[in-house]
Amino acid sequence: MTQKGIFHRVKKDWVIYLMLFPAILYFVIFNVIPIIGMKLAFQDYRVIGDNIWVGLKHFKVLFSSPAFFDVLQNTIIISSMKIIFFFPIPIVLSLMINELRNGPFRKYVQSVIYLPHFLSWVVIAGVWISLLSPDGGGINVIRNFFQLPSLDYMTSKDHIRWVLVFSEMWRSAGWDSIIYLAAIMKISPSLYEAARIDGASTFQQMRFITFPQLLSTVVVVFILNLGFFLNAGFDQVFNMINDSTISKIDILDTYVYRIGILNGQYAYATAASLFKGVIGVILILSTHFISKRLTGKGVW
Amino acid sequence: MRRFVKRFTWSQFIISAVLLVLSFMVLIPILNLLAMSFSDPLQVHKLSGLDIIPKGFSFINYEVLFSNPLIVRSIFNSLFLTIVGTALNLFLTALAAYVLAKTDFVGKRVVILFLIVIMVFEPGLIPEYLLVKDLGLLDTYASLLLYKTINIFYLFILMRFFEEVPDGILEAARIDGAGHFRIFTRIMLPLSKPGLATLGLFYGVYHWNEYFRATIYLTDPNKWPLQVVIRQFVVERDNTTLLGAQNILSYEQVQALDFGSLQAGTIIISIVPLLVFYPFILKYYAKGALEGGVKD
Repeated sequence: MTQKGIFHRVKKDWVIYLMLFPAILYFVIFNVIPIIGMKLAFQDYRVIGDNIWVGLKHFKVLFSSPAFFDVLQNTIIISSMKIIFFFPIPIVLSLMINELRNGPFRKYVQSVIYLPHFLSWVVIAGVWISLLSPDGGGINVIRNFFQLPSLDYMTSKDHIRWVLVFSEMWRSAGWDSIIYLAAIMKISPSLYEAARIDGASTFQQMRFITFPQLLSTVVVVFILNLGFFLNAGFDQVFNMINDSTISKIDILDTYVYRIGILNGQYAYATAASLFKGVIGVILILSTHFISKRLTGKGVW
Repeated sequence: MRRFVKRFTWSQFIISAVLLVLSFMVLIPILNLLAMSFSDPLQVHKLSGLDIIPKGFSFINYEVLFSNPLIVRSIFNSLFLTIVGTALNLFLTALAAYVLAKTDFVGKRVVILFLIVIMVFEPGLIPEYLLVKDLGLLDTYASLLLYKTINIFYLFILMRFFEEVPDGILEAARIDGAGHFRIFTRIMLPLSKPGLATLGLFYGVYHWNEYFRATIYLTDPNKWPLQVVIRQFVVERDNTTLLGAQNILSYEQVQALDFGSLQAGTIIISIVPLLVFYPFILKYYAKGALEGGVKD
């Protein structure tokens, strides 16, 4: 197309550009400017006047700080625990729900186990603080029934990471099973028909038809989860952390919040945040392309 | 449909039993809070953590909560933020989705690439906070309404809904002399109600549950949404604010109140609107989430 042709098209389509303008303006102000603002990691923050470039100063402090490595270690441990113990649950759930006949019971089960996904972590923290209360909370009622002493889980260093894993299950296991359930529904009924004629039991059908057909979805979800490995659940930790458990569950995002927003060390916190962001982008991009290569599905 | 008329077997019985137990594990902690909030404050100590029937019956917790101006105001603040926020989200997202899904213009590929790039590079918390501060938006609702006003994941989902509207209809309108904006408001929006409902629920649930940005941007308690107030009570254990309206009660009544039950009441209040919309959420949300492959 000639220079003049492009100019004419742009002029003719001015309404289109006008309609796109609010979105572009929004993204430039609230996405591009903060992304450029990450340069603060290499500066010292000044309330008045321009910030001063200090090179890698904050990163040197960061990487020689034991606190930072504790936080990084917590993040990795919590994320790993969630992948190992949480990740398989929605898959199992979807296989079980699939065995239910369409009807009121199936509808009831789905409606109930999807519900916690729509509650905020503030509310879920409230529910769990009550559930785990050493003073008559449901779990301790069960413990006492078996002659075990009450335990204050929310302040217990030994248990708090498990509280994160189980409350994550409570919130998300049901909802996350939807994606697998949708994949199962797409499996051709004729496969099951043939298996039944050959005398396969329910569990054999699950083992030899449903699960293999489900595997590609499992691989995609697993790989894409890895892309968000360093997140470890900010909202969850933010609402469940307390002074007794901070050494066990302080993660990168809560650390950035504390030193940045609460202590006002803007530049130093941005350095920590940029470290997390760069690794995050590398993880997301590599998992996206691995997933695309393996299964044809990616993040976008 | 043969696979749905399976014979009832032992394995199905076991699976049904396990799922029934799991559903109780989700429901009992919530119903326990409901029972706690309706229990008589003098008898609530007898309520075990597994009970779902109130001990005695009393509205006193809700009377206290609804006569606390901070709580009543926070409910209206949350409703305001949810309604205005969702409307703003929907309008701006739909406008962009129409242009990207249904028109062809010079630079479209660049715009899409730009969107993917800024979707991958999430800005950090601190630069975002400093921007809001520099723009003078601290302690204003604009600071909350301007966060993810257009969620790019959701924009891509809405584009898929819009793409399903046949081009022929839009072409016919164009021949009749309708401009893009007219086509957008008169044809595109009315024909995409399921897509808009889906996105409205995505955004609406987000606004109703939002607490974090409200926590860091709003210092004036009168502006707090409900979630921040609940956080103040339940997570920060601020019992003084929770009592707020103690002047309506006698000294003995205040003494008798149970803070746990009051906290339970605030949680129940925040869940009610979600339950009202839950049938729509089940209908639209799941389909939309699968459509976009969005995992949240």
